[in-house]
Amino acid sequence: MASQAKGSVEVSAKTVEEAIQRGLSELGLTRDQVEIEVVNPGRGGVLGIGAEDAQVRVSALPVEPSVEMESPRVEAEGEPPVSQPEPLESEGDVAKVAAELLQGLLDRMKVRARVKARMGDDLAEEGEEPVLILDVTGDDLGILIGRRGETLRALQYMTRLMLSKKLERWEMVIVDVESYRVRRRRSLRQLAVRMAERVAFSQQRVVLEAMPAHERRIIHIALRDHSQVATTSIGEGDRRKVTIVPK
Amino acid sequence: MPDIKELVEYMAQSLVNDPEAVVVEEVEGASATIYELSVASNDMGRVIGKQGRVANAMRTLLRVAAVKEGKRVTLEIV
Repeated sequence: MASQAKGSVEVSAKTVEEAIQRGLSELGLTRDQVEIEVVNPGRGGVLGIGAEDAQVRVSALPVEPSVEMESPRVEAEGEPPVSQPEPLESEGDVAKVAAELLQGLLDRMKVRARVKARMGDDLAEEGEEPVLILDVTGDDLGILIGRRGETLRALQYMTRLMLSKKLERWEMVIVDVESYRVRRRRSLRQLAVRMAERVAFSQQRVVLEAMPAHERRIIHIALRDHSQVATTSIGEGDRRKVTIVPK
Repeated sequence: MPDIKELVEYMAQSLVNDPEAVVVEEVEGASATIYELSVASNDMGRVIGKQGRVANAMRTLLRVAAVKEGKRVTLEIV
């Protein structure tokens, strides 16, 4: 229950909804004035065994200039904070549903792993909106990544399909296992820079190994403002490769 | 072992419009256990997907569970 910087608290409770409510009353804010991040959706456990409290971070959204920084808490004496029944709309609810669906999938796959939902921009390109990321952690999860991330892609695809079906609209969600995507992204960027140097120096084009679309995109974006090289893709389907050419 | 069957049911039921019509039969084959999935006819597309993409994702995830149990499995949509 450690509170952080001004205007942001981390709260634990039995359910995500309860934690959000507690956070809101602690900040004296309403739901539309805050951003909610589900740190841990929690789990019920069997007869309380293995139960885990839900944990959320409730942060005040940037306020209008007219509002003082030290905005006095709205003391709701006697009456609890007004809470409308929310449909599956707020970020917190979507995150919770998504995490539960994925956890259900992993449990049935007999994989002992934990799912944590967060809104993050470390898997988005610069200037892109933060997206819902489901981080899967546990022991020995290489089996969930598979050769060249094949199993992870299937896991993410299935999660997106199940979530979209449940919400009845398309919802962007990224599934990561043991930070594989974060690490892969870093090494692809390093590869891009290194190969670009080589191309600029030798004035010979370099063809990279075949990659799935989202990985090729990382390379293209890493080099889009490069002064000496340009990128294109060649080949079809699974065999499509990024090519770095001198400008 | 009913576990893998449950996994197939969970995935299929989460994707279709008519979860009650989802049926999974477990058939012991010569070299592998075959899971036969059937769904309502207008839900077929949802469990197969364009170019079999959904069915293949299910197969990939099924394989993880199968490795955990040390068996060979195949998924057929009937």
